[in-house]
This record gives sequence, structure tokens and C-alpha cells, in this order.
Amino acid sequence: MRWLLIILFYKVFVQLFLRIIGVKWIGIKNFHVPPPYIIVSNHNSHLDTMSIMAALPIKQLIKTHPVAAADYFGKTSFTRFLSRYVLNAILINRNRKEGDPSPMEIMIRFLDMGHGLVLFPEGSRGEPEELQVFQKGIGALLSRRPEIPYIPIFMKGMGRVLPKGEKLLVPFDSYLAIGPKCYAKQHEVTLIVKEVEESVRLQREFLLHLLNP
Amino acid sequence: MNYFFSNRIIENQEVQSIILLILGILVFASVLFFIMGKIYPGNKVRELQRRTKSWWIMATVFILATILHPVISFIAFALLSFAGLRELASISKNIRPEDRRVIIWCYVAIPIQYFLAYKGFFNFFIIFIPVIMFIWIPFILVIRGFTVEIGRSMSVLPAQLMFTVFSISHLAYLLSLPELSGFNAGGRGLLLFVVFLTEMNDVFQFTWGKLFGRHKIIEKISPNKTWEGFIGGLVTTIVVAYLIRFLTPFHTFESLIAGAIIAVGGFIGDVIVSAIKRDIGLKDTGNLIPGHGGILDRIDSLAIAAPSFFYFVYNLYYA
Repeated sequence: MRWLLIILFYKVFVQLFLRIIGVKWIGIKNFHVPPPYIIVSNHNSHLDTMSIMAALPIKQLIKTHPVAAADYFGKTSFTRFLSRYVLNAILINRNRKEGDPSPMEIMIRFLDMGHGLVLFPEGSRGEPEELQVFQKGIGALLSRRPEIPYIPIFMKGMGRVLPKGEKLLVPFDSYLAIGPKCYAKQHEVTLIVKEVEESVRLQREFLLHLLNP
Repeated sequence: MNYFFSNRIIENQEVQSIILLILGILVFASVLFFIMGKIYPGNKVRELQRRTKSWWIMATVFILATILHPVISFIAFALLSFAGLRELASISKNIRPEDRRVIIWCYVAIPIQYFLAYKGFFNFFIIFIPVIMFIWIPFILVIRGFTVEIGRSMSVLPAQLMFTVFSISHLAYLLSLPELSGFNAGGRGLLLFVVFLTEMNDVFQFTWGKLFGRHKIIEKISPNKTWEGFIGGLVTTIVVAYLIRFLTPFHTFESLIAGAIIAVGGFIGDVIVSAIKRDIGLKDTGNLIPGHGGILDRIDSLAIAAPSFFYFVYNLYYA
């Protein structure tokens, strides 16, 4: 039942909605990777998660979870319901109390179960089209599970459709450049973070070149 | 079935024959380029194959718009305008970040304009965007209160509405024209006439230019366009307009003028979009991304040819 709701939501409503707004997916076949994997992307808008999820193959959709902040998305029981049953998200406490499982442990548990994650290592939504410094979490995850691939994505234009702090959505053409899966080559956390950041930056250059040859 | 199909199409000989003609040309072109691709493989043939593919899509859209129920056709044209405006607004350098919320008003104008076309409120239809939105958008810009370079936004936003919404909505209005006695094909015939000729004019200009092109016509904007291509296209389009005048109420001389209007209008629309793209550093031809976008490339010629043709036929037969 929950699966049906998630598939219906992403594959029918969100997909149609995003197409009308003008989202274009480039390199969508790079999503055909059996989970577990970690999808890594820059973050400008609330539409980011949806555009990634809506483009996943149905089989992978139910096994892929956006990672969201519990203090933001878990405020009310309604948003908690929405996160779990419609968005397929995992809620993580940024400022956790004593005894709570650490975010890292939760994410590792999902990866070990053979699920995929969607992460935005920039933390919160940044300035459109500018890449911010990536946070350490992604490096820590990949250093503990180096056999798990990551899929780098760069998005452009979402920050114009629905920027941070805006409630009114305005249709503009926007693009997702989905790169081929990569494996972390380094072992040290900060070096892995650099490496992932570099792959996302590569997608950025690829996309900008494609749009403006 | 009558809910989806317009009932008059079944007994409409003229429209049927032109649809068969279009499909015939497309099948011929596809087979020809397929065989050419086998014999002389290369980039030029691939370019032709790519173009044929997008003509198939255009032809399918417009044939469906002609034979389906008018409401579906109006929605299809409105979506075409929407996608065109979205693309133009997205690539434009002249829209400030502060104009984001004002652009919503441009989008809101689309359903209103197509509703007016559907209802056939001609007097309101022709002033809504050129007069009412021309005042409303600058007024909203003033109320928003960001005055730095406001003049640019005041001119660009209404211009984009004119080019993508006002112009294309004339194609839809053709379907709302009243019936004339002794003229069977009706608005659907006129719609097929202008779209078919505009697209063929693009093809003719391209082909003549490739075969005999020597003298550049506007080198700075469109290096591939030549006088030979333009004149060859013009003459061929006039001839074809004469041959398919059974879709229209035109006499011989009127059909020749209509062909010339469409050929020249198509050319103007084409180079305007080329110039806009050149301004932002995009290439003259081709889709931004294979299989995506490129709506502007498809509607550029129509954007000028359609309203020009519309007022020609309107003033001759419907005014």
C-alpha cells in the first residue's frame, strides 16, 4: 500500500508536474544502478528531491530514500506522515539527544539493507548554481562503505523556479545532469569529500558546456 | 467518439487530402534519408534525419490539433505557447531576478488569451496582450518597486508575450472563425494551410540554400541563410500555396499573396529567434539538448507567419 502510494505520487503526479514546470533530465540512464548507492547533488530548492526521485526507475524508487532533517520535516504529525508514506524519506535529527541513534548509524543501516540514499552534502539550500563546500557526512559514509557507488548530479535552474524562502513557484526551464556512478578512490574522509565535490563539479561543467557550447 | 473528434472532419475531403499529402511527404522524406544514410553515411544526412524526426512530431501535433475536438486543440496550442514562453523567459538575459513574480502574470495571460480565442471575442482577443498586458506588466513592475533597469523588463516581458502567446494564439483563433458559405475546409483548412506552408517554406529555404546558396543574406545573424535560399523558398512556397488553395476561400491571386506573406513572415520569425539566441551565445540551429527543448526553434517561423496570414484572410473574408 505504501509502495503504491509512493510510486503513484512520484511517477504520475510529480513527474507530470515537473515536466510542466520545465524540468529536463540529462543522462537519465545513469540511474540504472542496483541499490545500494548514494545519490549526491547540489541543493537549491525544495524541488530538488522530487526531481531526483521522479526520475528513478520504479524498482529503485521504493528502495531509495531522501535524507531529510527531522527538525524541519518532522515538525507535525502531518509532515511526518507525508515524509514517510509519500516522500519515502528518512528523517534524521540534526541536534539529537542522549541515546538517540546517530544519523551515520541510521544511514549505514539503510545502505546495509541494500537501499539507496539521496544526500545533499551542501547542507541547506545554497545560492543558485554556486557550489558550496561539502560537509563531512558523505565522506564518512563512503569511507566506511567504500564498495558502495555514488551518483553525482548537478542541477541548474531549480533555484529560479522555487528559491529558498519563496512560496510562489514560477516555471522556468531547469536541468539535471546525472553522471555515471563512481566509487571513492581515497580513504581519508576529507579527501573523499573533495573527490565527491569534484565529481559534482564535473557534472556542472558538462551541463554548462551543453547549454552554452 | 464525437466527444473527442470534431464531427465535420469525416466528410471534409479537402482536409483529408492535405493530411494524406503531409503524411506522404514525411514517409517519402524518411525513406529517402534512410536510404541516403545507408549509402552516404555522415553528419549531413544525420542532420536531415534529425530534422525529419522533428517534422514528424510537429505534423502529428498539428494534424491531431486539426482532427480532434476544438477544446483539445485550444489546450494544445496554449501548451505550445506556454512551453515557448517558458523557454524564451529561461534563456533571456534581460529578465532581472526581481522579475520572477511578474513572470507569473505573463503565464496567467496564456489561458485568458486562449479563452478569448475559443469564445471568438475578436475585439478583446486582439487588444488583450498588445494593449492590456502592455500596460499591466509595467504597472506590476512599478508596484514591485525595483527600479534599477526597470525599463528593460518593461519592454522585454510584453515582447516575449507577443512573440510566444499573442502570435501562436492566432492559429487557435482560425478554428473559431465563422463558417463561410461555399467554403468547406473552414478554419481547419486555413490552419493546415498556414502551418503546412510555413514548415514547407523552412524546408524549401534550407534545400535551395544548400543547393545553390552563394550570397549571404544576413551573415552576422544566420550564416547559413542565403539570398538563393530565400528567393527559392519564396517562389516554391507561392507555387505550393497556389496548388493547395482548395484549403482556403482564396482566388488564384490571393493564394499567391498568401504564399508570399507566409514565406516572408516565416523568414522574419526565423531570424528574430536566431538573433535572440546569438545575443545569449547559443548556436543558430539545433536543440539545446538532443531530444529536449527547442520549442522556440519549432515555433519561430510560425510566430510571425501565423498572425500575418491571419489578418490577411480575416480582412479579406471575415471582417
